[in-house]
Amino acid sequence: MSSFIASRPSRYICKACRQSLSQGRKRKYGTNSITSNPSDIYDVVTVGGGPVGLALLAAIKSSPSTSHLRCALIETQSLSKQKSWELPPTQYSNRASSITPTNQSFLETIGAWRHLDLRRVQPYDEMQVWDAGNEASIQFDWQAEAVRYNAPQRTVATMTENANLSRALLKRIQELGAEDSLLPSTSVDRIDHGVDDAEGLNMSTWPVLSLKPSGPSESPSTPRQIAARLLVGADGINSPVRTFAGINTNGWDYHRHGVVATLELEPSKDTQSSADVDSALEDFLSDEETPSNSNPQIDKNLMPSNRATAYQRFLPSMGGPIAILPLPNNHASLVWSTTPQIANYLKSLSPSAFVATVNAALRLNQVDIKYMLSLPSTSPSSTDFTKSSSSSSYTHEDELRWRLTQTDPAPTTREPPLVRAVQPNTVASFPLRLRNATSYIVPRIALAGDAAHTIHPLAGQGLNLGLGDATALASTIQYAVEHGMDLGDLGMLEQYGSARYGKAVEMSSGVDALNWMFQLGGSGEGLVGSLIGRARGLGMQVVGSGWIPGLKEIVMRRAD
Amino acid sequence: MSRVVLRSASRAAVRSPQPRWLYLRASLNPWGALAPRHQDIRSHSTSSTSPRGSSVSASEVSHFTQLASSWWDPHGPSRLLHLMNPLRHDFIKSCVVSSSPSNPSNPSNQPVGTEQEKPKGSYTFLDIGCGGGIFASSAARLPTTRSVTAIDPTPEVIVVANRHKRSDPLLSQPGRLTYLNCAIEDLASHVQPQPQSALGPGANLEKDRLPGEVPQYDFVTLFEVIEHISHPAAFLRTCLSHLRPGGYLIGSTIARHPLSCLTTKIIAEAPWPIGVVPHGTHDWDKYINPAELRQFFAKENVKDFERGRRTGEKEAAESVKVVEGRERLESGDLYAEVRVEGCVYLPGVGWKFVNGSEEYGNYFFGVRKLR
Repeated sequence: MSSFIASRPSRYICKACRQSLSQGRKRKYGTNSITSNPSDIYDVVTVGGGPVGLALLAAIKSSPSTSHLRCALIETQSLSKQKSWELPPTQYSNRASSITPTNQSFLETIGAWRHLDLRRVQPYDEMQVWDAGNEASIQFDWQAEAVRYNAPQRTVATMTENANLSRALLKRIQELGAEDSLLPSTSVDRIDHGVDDAEGLNMSTWPVLSLKPSGPSESPSTPRQIAARLLVGADGINSPVRTFAGINTNGWDYHRHGVVATLELEPSKDTQSSADVDSALEDFLSDEETPSNSNPQIDKNLMPSNRATAYQRFLPSMGGPIAILPLPNNHASLVWSTTPQIANYLKSLSPSAFVATVNAALRLNQVDIKYMLSLPSTSPSSTDFTKSSSSSSYTHEDELRWRLTQTDPAPTTREPPLVRAVQPNTVASFPLRLRNATSYIVPRIALAGDAAHTIHPLAGQGLNLGLGDATALASTIQYAVEHGMDLGDLGMLEQYGSARYGKAVEMSSGVDALNWMFQLGGSGEGLVGSLIGRARGLGMQVVGSGWIPGLKEIVMRRAD
Repeated sequence: MSRVVLRSASRAAVRSPQPRWLYLRASLNPWGALAPRHQDIRSHSTSSTSPRGSSVSASEVSHFTQLASSWWDPHGPSRLLHLMNPLRHDFIKSCVVSSSPSNPSNPSNQPVGTEQEKPKGSYTFLDIGCGGGIFASSAARLPTTRSVTAIDPTPEVIVVANRHKRSDPLLSQPGRLTYLNCAIEDLASHVQPQPQSALGPGANLEKDRLPGEVPQYDFVTLFEVIEHISHPAAFLRTCLSHLRPGGYLIGSTIARHPLSCLTTKIIAEAPWPIGVVPHGTHDWDKYINPAELRQFFAKENVKDFERGRRTGEKEAAESVKVVEGRERLESGDLYAEVRVEGCVYLPGVGWKFVNGSEEYGNYFFGVRKLR
């Protein structure tokens, strides 16, 4: 449970797009089959230009033994937009992920990490985790623990915007001279098997992809049909490649949504006394008329501080945890897993009410938070120019101010962060699901990333699992090339499948169990629930206290 | 003497009533399953029944006919051979690396060019006893390979090998991979002289085959073959005649040790359900130990030295030393030191090189022809 982290599907396609994609495929699937084998034969064809697919391509092209392979990466959207992605230093994308040290070193090995805009990434070495159900808490402070357990110094993880990562990978692919492997603005119209030409090749085991432009073409000569020695499905949770491969998935929906947003925080309290924090809170709450657009700290701390903390508070009666993950310049990424109703409510709040509710969720008792969630949400259009004082009834800010005086401080060793503002247009939500493909490989096809597995973002391991897939698949491909094996051969793919399948099941079932455990004991679940709630609190205290030597370190290591 | 009994690799599956899972275990000792009994081999080696007058055993041909269809099933009877294949490449690489000029253990006398930096598409292979082509096709895929010629006496496995080749456009490139249904002694009549590059730059100019000469290759490979040969010395000499100067003879086999007797004879041939092959399948006597291979090549070196002295081609200054009771040349050897590495199959882990295991189980051997 050490690891909670920002989390979202590594590649998110809106529902409408997905439907049109799969419908288009289904309609044409199986009709007029090709009669001759295509002349365009590729070694590795990846469908999906998310971070996982891009990382795989960069890894293949950066290794001397595999750089000669003929690769293609098919992406429906334009990649030039991703490549020229820019945001001012005061704004951050709401799609951010927490990269583990293992994946960071993979990205360094393939030469992509240095293309990240490092001013926009934030390493953190401390996590504060506490539970509103029983007010137990646990801290993972890697610096302190490293001294105590004589463990190596390192960061827990590094927060980066997904767009920053994709841009870095695209830059690396360009640097490697592998841009001709990218087929952007191209969609897969159909996937068939090749034919057995009695006088020529027997391509009946080879996937043949029929391509069509999905937008203004960026490369003039997009081939129409390509055959794949190895087809990699990195095409998201509703993977068309997985459908073609005939691989089913197991899993369920959690009936929970993840609410994400980019937040602006009060500067770190390291330099302030707690009295200052209280007064800052008072200042913030009383100073509603001046939204804190100007941020004097940005100039002072242009480079991210080496010390940053991630926060996660479990809110069992609201369906899941709220997490604040650090971004540079006193910004943070919010991930709040909660019921669809609360998610919709949160999205309907005005920016100031949203900020007050997030601050409440980090501080108040669950009963008080629930009360605040029952207040009428004023529509954003009416609140932008209307002072809260002129609103009819009590506002979220009023409730927070009043209820804070009645609330004990959080049991954490570090004060929960104070949210000052929410970046406009960054509040969004997505449904949380657990999916695991029944297999990641069939002959000539491998699945990677969300196409293979989608897990609850509780521990933020979605993108990390996907990058782990890319690592394993790239090294399997390298081994195969160096030993003369056929890249699509099932015997060769088994190396990849067995290396990753167990990993994903272990991770997803662990995260799933964690999620279950933290939802029980909320309220109204009777004796069993409250016992589990207490046991959970006791467990956190046992792990956190260091009573059992080495236990906490084990838990921390599992986060990797 | 070119009449030898050739038994090609991978005799995993069998015409036996045993359940399929046993076949997997049978392939643990793939050299053993259903090889004809000792006396059969003897009789074949003296009176051939093969239609072409070659030394190929008819029962072997029929045996591999049964095996052919499942050859490329990664979960079929040949699974352990598929799993072993990467180690073959690892071993070949280690042979080439250890004899490269930068390596201090490299013999100083290299009349036929030096090892270049892996020139692209330059190596030629002759795979003897190729079966369905597990090794041959993988060798043909390597970027450093120019061409692979693979031979097997069983027509059906060559059909399977060619069928498999047709499903890979890379292997189907002209001249990259050629399967021939013949025995090693018939190879010359099947192969047209063709310009082939070699390990060294000097080799491909004058060494293109003259009429009457045998085709020569950079690598001659014998995987799981030699333990089925009645007269291995004559067979090896035939193989070595196809080796280009500077080339390598690479193979794998099994040592004659009480442990290998236990695993391949007593356990594998025990009554069902322990055993995996019928009693009498194995010919433990014919397993070859690394020391015997070393002795063979030491003798070949001495013979070569004496032949050279007779014809006056060689400097008389080179001295013959007696090492371990055997004559051994100090320099100017025809063959470099035999390189040997043992490997072990660990269920759940796969094949692993295990130092020292060459004395009691499977092992690879490699030797370089220096002139």
